[in-house]
Amino acid sequence: MNQNNPAPGAARAGGATVAETLATDSREVPAPLLDQSYQFLGDDDIDCSRYISADFARKEFDRLWNRCWQWVCREEHIPDVGDNYVYQIGPYSVIVVRSSADGIRAFINSCPHRATRILGGEGTGFSNAFTCPFHGWSFSLDGCLQALPARWDFPHVSEETHSLQPVQCETWGGFVFINLDTHAGPLADYLEVLPAHFSHFPLERRRVRLHVQKTLPANWKAAQEAFMEAYHNFETHDGPNGANAQYDIFGKYVSRFIHNIGNYSAESLADYPGDKWRAPPLSENEILQMLSVFGLEHDEVPAGKTAREVAAQDLRHKLGEALGIDFSATSDTLMLDSIEYHLFPNMFFFPGITVSMVYRFRPNGEDVDSSLFDFLILEPLAEGAQHPQPPEPVCLSVEQSYTEAEGLGWLGPVYDEDTGNLALQQQGFKTARKPGITLGNYQESRIRRVHMTLDEFLEEAGNE
Amino acid sequence: MSNDEFVQVASLANLPQGRCAAVAVADREILLCHTADGVFALDNLCTHGAARLCEGKLKGNRVLCPLHGAAFDVRDGSALSRPAVRGLASYRVKVTGDAIAIAVTD
Ligand code: FES
Ligand code: FES
Ligand SMILES: [Fe+2]
Repeated sequence: MNQNNPAPGAARAGGATVAETLATDSREVPAPLLDQSYQFLGDDDIDCSRYISADFARKEFDRLWNRCWQWVCREEHIPDVGDNYVYQIGPYSVIVVRSSADGIRAFINSCPHRATRILGGEGTGFSNAFTCPFHGWSFSLDGCLQALPARWDFPHVSEETHSLQPVQCETWGGFVFINLDTHAGPLADYLEVLPAHFSHFPLERRRVRLHVQKTLPANWKAAQEAFMEAYHNFETHDGPNGANAQYDIFGKYVSRFIHNIGNYSAESLADYPGDKWRAPPLSENEILQMLSVFGLEHDEVPAGKTAREVAAQDLRHKLGEALGIDFSATSDTLMLDSIEYHLFPNMFFFPGITVSMVYRFRPNGEDVDSSLFDFLILEPLAEGAQHPQPPEPVCLSVEQSYTEAEGLGWLGPVYDEDTGNLALQQQGFKTARKPGITLGNYQESRIRRVHMTLDEFLEEAGNE
Repeated sequence: MSNDEFVQVASLANLPQGRCAAVAVADREILLCHTADGVFALDNLCTHGAARLCEGKLKGNRVLCPLHGAAFDVRDGSALSRPAVRGLASYRVKVTGDAIAIAVTD
């Protein structure tokens, strides 16, 4: 079908690439955003059974969730000694606790006596020590067995044998990470390019402005994959500019897309249905109108300017004032674009100023057909400002709409669109007679990378 | 017999928003909590194991017990999480200027 038959994965949409757009930025672009790192990873189908099989989900609990790094909360969720955060992942539950002024520790949330969960539920809590609600065994914030009612009956129990079981715990970017594998390698190795790239975009200097947690009617992988490409932009969001996004694979664990906002190329839609946005193409004024949801000062593009320049400049003013931060040297790309880093298996970090999200997708309990989507807006914090107490999550059920979450504003309908296909897809996995799903070589390459790394986890442990 | 009188127990100056403190009224220990939604008064002793909630922590409209971490809604005293199942008694509060007064009904 392709006239010149480029090597698989080498073809691109017509029109300006992200690199070409970034070359016209009105400010200096941070070096990591100029990196490009794509490689063709194959084009085999991905089995539908990976999304619907309870057996596959069981393997993921045993060999993936038991062994990968994952963030639990922000450091500012647990500022004071005794503050804790309970995190659930499938059948497992972990307590993260501020055990001393500069120490954070994590423990398996199960009593060494008769296995009762010591803290119920999920989220923030506080106590000076942990006491099991069943028979009252108690443990210090370091996890040491402290008090044991009727100790005379337990000569076979000691601090050495019956303290809380520790879980590996490290921090990065203001996030507290855990790994349930006591032999796991350090978090720094797992983060690959993230520390170097995010040294330009310090996430520890951000605050949670909003946390929305929604149950989604699809497997956790299908749910996150709806956010790993901009290919769906035309059909799902009725948007003109998904086709020129740039996709990068930095290693086994980290990938990225950069999706320019405020410009587009009519050529990129060459083989899309209809004439929409091609004949005639959008004017700069019409593009600016599409950005009015940002609440811009301008509703017209002055002669000689582009919509992208005008929008970036208006946002510098508006957000600079609102947040008390000087954005005068901040690039157009950081002000405007959707720049999305993914960390295996389920975490997304956006360094952008306007598009400043963090996502986490995980199984909903042990159900293979549904997932939990944590959505956070991580707003930049003014210099010297203290971290305020993070807000409690707003919880939405499968049936509820994102428009019901106060504070989400214009993003509400967008996330309804993003998640609106998931029930149909999850049902489709079961209806399919074709055994697998097919991926685009470039635009959907990050999805393939996740499945490849997932296979490494599932196979490695199988050989142990 | 019902004794409905408001007794002044503290001042707003000593109880800024986000703080809680215990006061003694009519042989009872009462916990005052000042949140974004106002000032609330509850029993200070946890319904689970009688730990002093003033030694716990106020988070938003929740107070957390220092002993086993049970959470109570300070607005009505209801128990939000195990191991507590029974709610805390709560008392009417009147703020006049800087003065916080509560009504302890017998
Ligand atoms: S199960 Fe925890 S004290 Fe018995
Ligand atoms: S004494 Fe308060 S939770 Fe046990
Ligand atoms: Fe989308």
